[in-house]
Amino acid sequence: MPPDNGGYMIAAYVALAVLYVSYALYLWRKRP
Amino acid sequence: MSEHQTSPAKLPGGQWIGVALLLIAGVYVRALAFTPTEAAQGLAQKIFYLHAPSAWSAFVAFCVVTVCSIGYLFLKDMRLDMFAASSAEVGVVFTSAVLISGPIWGKPIWGAWWTWDARLTSTLFLWFIFFGYLVLRSAVREPGQRARYSAVLGILGAPLVAFIHVSVKLFRTTHPQPVVLKPEGPTLPSQMLTTLLLSFAAFTFFYVVLVTRRYALMRAEDARARLAEGDDAA
Repeated sequence: MPPDNGGYMIAAYVALAVLYVSYALYLWRKRP
Repeated sequence: MSEHQTSPAKLPGGQWIGVALLLIAGVYVRALAFTPTEAAQGLAQKIFYLHAPSAWSAFVAFCVVTVCSIGYLFLKDMRLDMFAASSAEVGVVFTSAVLISGPIWGKPIWGAWWTWDARLTSTLFLWFIFFGYLVLRSAVREPGQRARYSAVLGILGAPLVAFIHVSVKLFRTTHPQPVVLKPEGPTLPSQMLTTLLLSFAAFTFFYVVLVTRRYALMRAEDARARLAEGDDAA
């Protein structure tokens, strides 16, 4: 039976989604 | 003055950012719904499918910084300096992702958020070097001087990238050994390996999209600054 640690996975997935989407939007919206 | 004149022109290629984000979303779906859960580590092991490709993209980014920096010192072409700077910024974002996801994976598996082993410590130093690179660039105003100083620092970061890759072989580390990039070939079950390779491809594409966008922005900012200088001189 695998250990119950899905919360850590969710935390990492959400944190990286926030980081990557934020940076991508920053580059998308930034004007010279 | 019309609204058209007050709002700067949009840069082309913005749709590729959307495509890249969709591919990353595809990696999420594949990892969560179509990849088996590892028996010993449980769901936390799925952090691997974002952690390792983020590290790969960071390494690619910093290798590009080094190549462009060496090129700049020989050719004195400011486009190489701007591409190096763009790649460094994107590399810092990917390294930040590695340093965020690593501890969240380490806590349930090792029982600690952080250990000062060779790979973790050198990755943290890599982040500091290239964050310092960005700070240095913002502190030097003269473009030629800024490019020269940055190129030297960009080249000095390269040995650390190589060191991080071999650190798990050279030292007894808490961080595990490579499972894909090793002489005897990958040792992952096929479904996990497929997810990982798809993720590597998506993250490489994401890097290319981000760095080309950042570079286009930097070129446009540079052109605008030159125009402003010309107006001041006139």
